[in-house]
Amino acid sequence: MANHALLNNVDHKDLKIITSRSADYGDNVMSAMTFADEFRSVQAHYPIFFLKQSDTGKFQAVAVFGFEEGENLFLDANGWDASYVPLTIERQPFLIGFQAATGGGSGEQQTVIHVDMDSPRISKSDGEAVFLEHGGLTPFIERINSVLHTIHEGVQRDSAFVAALLEFDLLESFTLDVELNDGAKYRMAGFYTINEEKLGELDGEALAKLNREGHLQPIYMAIASLSNIRDLIDRRNARLE
Amino acid sequence: MSDSVKHVVIVGGGAAGWLTAGVIAAEHCADSQSGLKVTLIESPDVKTIGVGEGTWPTMRDTLRNMGASETDLIRECDASFKQGSKFVGWVTGEEDDYYYHPFVLPQGYTDTNLVPCWRERHSDIPFADLVSFQPHLCEQDRAPKQNTTPEFAAVANYAYHLDAGKFGQFLQKHCTRNLGVRHVLDHVRHINPAGNGDIASLQTDKNGALTGDLFIDCTGFASLLLGQHYDVPFVSKKHVLFNDTALAIQVPYADDRVPIASQTISTAQDAGWIWDIGLPTRRGVGHVYSSAHTSDNEAEAALSQYIEKLSGTDTAALGSPRKISINPGHREKFWHRNCVAVGISAGFIEPLEASALALIELSAAMIRDQLPATREIMDVVAARFNERFLYRWGRVIDFLKLHYILSKRSDSQFWIDNRRTETIPDRLQELMELWQFQAPSRNDFFQIEEIFPSASYQYVLYGMGFRPAGRETIRRSDDARTAERYFQESAQLTRKMLAALPSNRELINQVKRHGLQKI
Repeated sequence: MANHALLNNVDHKDLKIITSRSADYGDNVMSAMTFADEFRSVQAHYPIFFLKQSDTGKFQAVAVFGFEEGENLFLDANGWDASYVPLTIERQPFLIGFQAATGGGSGEQQTVIHVDMDSPRISKSDGEAVFLEHGGLTPFIERINSVLHTIHEGVQRDSAFVAALLEFDLLESFTLDVELNDGAKYRMAGFYTINEEKLGELDGEALAKLNREGHLQPIYMAIASLSNIRDLIDRRNARLE
Repeated sequence: MSDSVKHVVIVGGGAAGWLTAGVIAAEHCADSQSGLKVTLIESPDVKTIGVGEGTWPTMRDTLRNMGASETDLIRECDASFKQGSKFVGWVTGEEDDYYYHPFVLPQGYTDTNLVPCWRERHSDIPFADLVSFQPHLCEQDRAPKQNTTPEFAAVANYAYHLDAGKFGQFLQKHCTRNLGVRHVLDHVRHINPAGNGDIASLQTDKNGALTGDLFIDCTGFASLLLGQHYDVPFVSKKHVLFNDTALAIQVPYADDRVPIASQTISTAQDAGWIWDIGLPTRRGVGHVYSSAHTSDNEAEAALSQYIEKLSGTDTAALGSPRKISINPGHREKFWHRNCVAVGISAGFIEPLEASALALIELSAAMIRDQLPATREIMDVVAARFNERFLYRWGRVIDFLKLHYILSKRSDSQFWIDNRRTETIPDRLQELMELWQFQAPSRNDFFQIEEIFPSASYQYVLYGMGFRPAGRETIRRSDDARTAERYFQESAQLTRKMLAALPSNRELINQVKRHGLQKI
């Protein structure tokens, strides 16, 4: 059960955050939410798929780490086996919150940082400090702040990206059947990817529009990311040995 | 002078007119210069019938093929999902008397004959409950899909309940904005005949003479072209299906948390039956009855009693119901010369299985698929259309009559009269004799695209307690083990679906907020 508290240098003066990557701290997840702005970094290591959010039915991009719930093939005894960790993983246990802006009645919202006090990463003794001795921000929390803002803006811009994909009919549903060396079979269904055929048929006007709006690059990044499926299979097979 | 068919004129703008316009315009490129020209003329003075709120699952494909959006349908037509019909009180009239006719085929239907195993080992379980998950979904007011299911796709086969008036407007918008249908709002004063007896043009008040190559009569009860102008005789079926009047009314919900029903409810009465269709914002309720067996006052009282029992609503506050006269039957032929009737102008029957919109879809589809290229070939197409739809009307009447002949009620003359042999069509009598010994199957029905599949006959027959004698010797396709496997499968699917499917209200609220994806 999440227990979100507004981060402040009084209640959380001595707060420390364990940043090691491990199943003990909840990193054993099959996927994490990502967004178009991040695709360039994500595609170097992880397949990017789209799936429908269960509450709204709207499309959402995810970086995939494994073939079943709870399986993260990048986690090992040494931590996370890749040079880039998706931002929605890195930000934990922090999340962005909204508060009515001070200077009352304007109706504007300002963003603030919340921390999930039930997270196993919370510590008094181990890990990164959040606040300096006199209440200032550590470089660690400044980095977190920047990560949260990048996610927030990225997610907001993502709805335009998804709308463009739908406008040009560039998403198609996708079922991947995987067979491992030990004969185990997995079916990944309910995912969507870029429809390369439709992409190839787009005329100059459509491509120019996508390019102008900054959607063309993430489209190709998503396509490129699919070669990481092979890598995922190899990682899984390696664990069988 | 070319006799090419290049311009289709549809007269009348209700569901029949606009569905036909949309189906034809989409296929025949009415939005293109080189496509068929499609014009719909409707009178500002003539109202549509205003009821007609249940569809069949075929409507999903009809709308999808036309390029319409299911999200828009749900948002604009006060639509909800229909998974079949629940018939209450049709057999004995006792409290526990009901059965389902769902849209989903029995589990394993095409693979084996489920009936003998049901009869021998599970006859205490209602047939539909054993062979299908759908009645269980309906009993719990569940939706037939999730918010992540694409538009028009189903988890459980479904159709729609919708507001008839809003549906017409929705179709009109789609047809005129997206499909290139020309809309003329004007009154047709009289028909101008051609030398050979065809319709040359329609004389309008403000737009002069409207010419066309094919005229589609969607004028409802007036049957302006086929009935009035051409005087094509009407074949009454009142001696088979007695109901000739309907009283229709709308009933609000007590609040917005009352569950939306997943099916049409049809409750038998002394001299007819009451329909109950649950839309998100209100119910459409109506009493269909035989004026020969009851009076208007008694019928209205029965309707009030139903509404009060159902929702505790004080019916006095609702106002008077609307009375609609039904002449059960159809025209002797539907396509005459260069005029074809679709909808009520072709015929009308009590809405016991919501066949009216389905017949419109089927008519529009055949006109679309077989649209004559020239006037010369039109007579061939017309003859084939007439043959096909006379057959289909016959099947509709047979199937509706089946609901009456299987009743055991004798608490009123209406029910007794309905079982008199002279009111039962010969073909139905013959099939009933056959079904004493074997279950209804595809082999009993000869046309491709039968209007009611054999599974529907099974649902009604066995839902109403028909107990066949069966045969004395065994046969391979009656294998009990295969049937048991399918009964298990159906039970498993029921469990999975009940766990995964939202209620109708939940889903509709989600769709209103977020829409459904196309893929």
